[in-house]
Amino acid sequence: MSDILVMRDLVGGYGDANVLQGVSMTAAKAEIVVIVGPNGAGKSTAMKAIFGLLKVRGGSITVDGTDITGWEPNRIVEAGVCYVPQVSNVFREMTVHENLEMGAFLRSGDLSAAYDRVYTLFPDLKERRKALAGNLSGGQRQMVAMGRALMLEPKLLLLDEPTAGLSPRYMEQIFQICRDVRDTGVTIVLVEQHAKQALAFADRGYVLASGANRHEGTGADLLADRDVADMFLGG
Amino acid sequence: MDALEIINFYLVPGIVIGSIYALGAVGITLVFAILRYAHLAHGDLATLGAFLALGAVTLGGVSPYVALPVAMVLTAAAAVMIDKAFYAYLRERPKIVTVMASLGVALMVRAVVQVVWGVDSETYTRGIVRPDVWFGIRIRDRELITILAMIGLVLALHVFLQQSKWGKAMRAMSDNPDLALLSGVDNKKVVMLTWIIVGGLCAAAGVFLGLNYELKAMMGWTMLLPMFAAAILGGVGRVEGAVLGGLIVGIAEEMSTLFLPTEYKAATAFAILLLMLLVRPTGLLKGKVL
Repeated sequence: MSDILVMRDLVGGYGDANVLQGVSMTAAKAEIVVIVGPNGAGKSTAMKAIFGLLKVRGGSITVDGTDITGWEPNRIVEAGVCYVPQVSNVFREMTVHENLEMGAFLRSGDLSAAYDRVYTLFPDLKERRKALAGNLSGGQRQMVAMGRALMLEPKLLLLDEPTAGLSPRYMEQIFQICRDVRDTGVTIVLVEQHAKQALAFADRGYVLASGANRHEGTGADLLADRDVADMFLGG
Repeated sequence: MDALEIINFYLVPGIVIGSIYALGAVGITLVFAILRYAHLAHGDLATLGAFLALGAVTLGGVSPYVALPVAMVLTAAAAVMIDKAFYAYLRERPKIVTVMASLGVALMVRAVVQVVWGVDSETYTRGIVRPDVWFGIRIRDRELITILAMIGLVLALHVFLQQSKWGKAMRAMSDNPDLALLSGVDNKKVVMLTWIIVGGLCAAAGVFLGLNYELKAMMGWTMLLPMFAAAILGGVGRVEGAVLGGLIVGIAEEMSTLFLPTEYKAATAFAILLLMLLVRPTGLLKGKVL
């Protein structure tokens, strides 16, 4: 299997401090990779680094064979990477459909297939396509955010804590949608606070601590690991 | 005083000046929404537009209505150039720096107008125009055209913002700039587009002010406060709110002369502005809170 994402020994952070002290990870085509770890481990920072949102001082990031280290975010979008931030990830004053349109801003030509695909994945959104995104529930808003990112048909989808603040029912729904998206051939990397549930559903996981790799392996292996269990699964 | 007199002497002039304020306020609200600062050179950009139209009238011998689109295009170009020359460098700095810079730009633009056209009052056409009478309501052609042009321009802008790809990009940039960038929207193009629209609207406000009153170097500057009051009254970032705010401020100013000496007209706009910020800072149509 070819790797869509390869991150090697990444060092960087905001301002002068290095939050990341050498993080490495890979993600294969059509694979769900989850990043977990205690607060301040650099999980979200590692994800933002992929998207060019912080200063990278060492290491490299390649996407589908192209080195994108240090690129501007809008070029990274064109390279096929979409990022869904954790907060304010929809255009609140625009309708659901307009949010999807903005997701496809860089595309031209007939988009009806892309709309169909997103509305098939999220039937709830099809019903509420004319509603303002700001008036939706938290779970539906997360769906709009993911739908917006999927309109570009990315190779790699980055999700920053997609289930934060959602009820367990919505959490399971979001995970199921991630599986459906993966099955269409998209690679997904997500950061999760709910480590136990996330490791159970992901193909592979990385445990970060203090800005560096601590453990990696399949979700099941990590769940069975004593050290990982001590770290956050309640011991 | 009967109802007809109130309509003829207060309401109609109020709607006319309100339409002019509305054209300016829409521009102010767009700058607030997309660039996120108060643009103090707005009034003087309107003055520039009015005098550019005067140039077209005197040099080309055309009617002010033909000169209007010419002035709109030239003022839009001037606005884009001002942005590139002054505001673009300050984009990453605190917004108050750009606000102060726009005050400097206001003085510069006015100085250019005074050097080129002098400091005397001018008019587009000479002579007295008799108003037409419709069911007892007296309204001049130019007044009717001012109101209709405002409605037409705002409707065109509304359709552009709602339907076109770049109009939606402007709304997205106003709504959530970070997410707009993540979606691949080119910030520089949106900023340029904003200035083209704002410049055009400024020129329209200036030309109609000159048409209904007279052209003076200070005409735009004195209109700045009512325009800001209108934009904040309607709700910052709301185009339809700016129109509503403009009309309310214009009518309130004219109506205030029923009770107050005419010199206090300008104070009416100021009172509305203060009251709104105290009671409902989001404006009538729930805009952004500054």
